[in-house]
Amino acid sequence: MLEFKDVNVNVGRTPILENISVRFNWGEITSIIGPNGCGKTTLLQTLNGISSVTSGQILLDECKYLELPLRERAKRLSFLPQFRESSPNISVKGLVEHGRFPYMGFSRKMSKEDREAVQNALEYANLLQYKDCMVNELSGGLQQRAYLAMQLAQNCPYMVMDEPTNYLDFPSRREMYRLICELKKTGKTIIIVAHDINQALRISDKLVIMKDRKIMASGAPRVCLKEGIIQDVFECEINEIENNGTFQYVLM
Amino acid sequence: MKKNKTRNNRILFLILLLVMMLLMFVGMVFGSVKLSFDEVFSVLLGRDTLSKNAIIIWNVRLPRILGGLLAGAGLGTAGVILQGVMNNALASPNTIGVNSGAGFFVMLSMLVLPQNLLAKSTMAFLGALITSLIILCLAFWAERSRITIVLAGITISSFLSAGMNMIKILDTDISINATQFLIGTLSGVTLKTIKYPAMGIIIGILISIILSNALNLLALGDGVASSLGLQVNCFRFIFILLASAMSGLVVSFAGLVGFVGLIVPHIVRFLFGHDARTVIPASALLGANFVLLSDFVGRSLFAPFELPVGIILSLAGGPFFLYLLLKKGGRRVNA
Repeated sequence: MLEFKDVNVNVGRTPILENISVRFNWGEITSIIGPNGCGKTTLLQTLNGISSVTSGQILLDECKYLELPLRERAKRLSFLPQFRESSPNISVKGLVEHGRFPYMGFSRKMSKEDREAVQNALEYANLLQYKDCMVNELSGGLQQRAYLAMQLAQNCPYMVMDEPTNYLDFPSRREMYRLICELKKTGKTIIIVAHDINQALRISDKLVIMKDRKIMASGAPRVCLKEGIIQDVFECEINEIENNGTFQYVLM
Repeated sequence: MKKNKTRNNRILFLILLLVMMLLMFVGMVFGSVKLSFDEVFSVLLGRDTLSKNAIIIWNVRLPRILGGLLAGAGLGTAGVILQGVMNNALASPNTIGVNSGAGFFVMLSMLVLPQNLLAKSTMAFLGALITSLIILCLAFWAERSRITIVLAGITISSFLSAGMNMIKILDTDISINATQFLIGTLSGVTLKTIKYPAMGIIIGILISIILSNALNLLALGDGVASSLGLQVNCFRFIFILLASAMSGLVVSFAGLVGFVGLIVPHIVRFLFGHDARTVIPASALLGANFVLLSDFVGRSLFAPFELPVGIILSLAGGPFFLYLLLKKGGRRVNA
């Protein structure tokens, strides 16, 4: 379980997040949703060291996450960055190999285990045929999958993803969500910052709803929906449509 | 496809090495006194130790060739590192003012301690380090806007150039040829003057090669690098230290050799791809070749007069770089 306890974050001298307390349960998909500028990305960035926590505690499986060396953190919790304008000029395989960085010794030589992890990650993300392509020459969907493969090679029980489907077209988006749901089945704990509320409602076990740098509510999607919190935060109505036993949500 | 690429890279490396050896040899044969191949060999193999040929080779040509190798390799590596750390394709020891910082401090040390070679090297390193730290702070403060870094570099550069020119004009007895120093030259390099810089540069290149994978991670952005377990700021500082040491030490014996640090990394990436583990050693090699060749041309073009290597580098390198930019459509330079 990943738990934030009274976490405060300052950027420069301005407080961005104040007294955030929230839990992310083991083996679940938790989505953080909220309007732009509500602090969701800042909250996640406390986990990769970009936003520094000024007070409070983050506990990962009962141990103090912020006191772990970076390399140890990188073996327990991996991070999928937001889609970026400029992407690296290296091969897909090269990118995925970077996921093994926390495991490599001083020589930075790949062991047999590292090679296997890279191969498995490439297979899992369906990227074998692209492994020698340059990342910056791929489409957005494939690039995002390459980053996901890098994250998979890192082989952490906790996977954090910052807007994994931003700028992606529909098929790439669906593929991404399919992969995320399969990862959950393999026992990963997944934390997503999501813009796509329909998808968040459909795949998450738990929602964390943020507004104005505060956590408004957290709980099971259907409960949040029933209590009207999402509708309040996004100032909208949500229609539920049933289709062959699965639900789709339309924001209006 | 991948296999082919690594093989191609190996062949390219081999070619660069062969060209380097060829250039070294040619540099020993030609000059204001032309020696024959036999004469060069008998000096190098120790059979001829007393003739004037031996004096020419050991005291003039060999130091100059070694100086060229070191200058090119050091600046090439420093260029790759600065471009990586600042995430800026326009960064190089020259463009961001690191060279000028070293140059200014070298001229200061010449003013105060004219004969002390160790002081000269140390001051060059300090000058380079202080300048690059200033630039890094500015970059951090300006949220790494690429244009700001380069503009700040140009400003600092011209500020320090003013300082150097002031010293040059006020103290005409300064114990280096200031005009040549400001352009970058290898004439007057002796084994003694490159002793300390050589050690520093070689160690610097080796450490850079060992740490090169960290440079790859930095290229992915701070967030990704740190989520993979890299101490981003710590490594950034180490890399700045390395680049400053190498470019500063080159300045201490060869003056403000320009352009190598900017264009060599670009050519290398064009030929070898973007993996820092290949780019760093390849830049060292190509840089060395580039300076050796330019120095050789500078010596022979108007022999017995010679042009400082800095002039040749700018004359030949400038148009060549423009050609590369245009050929690539300027698109991939934004690395």
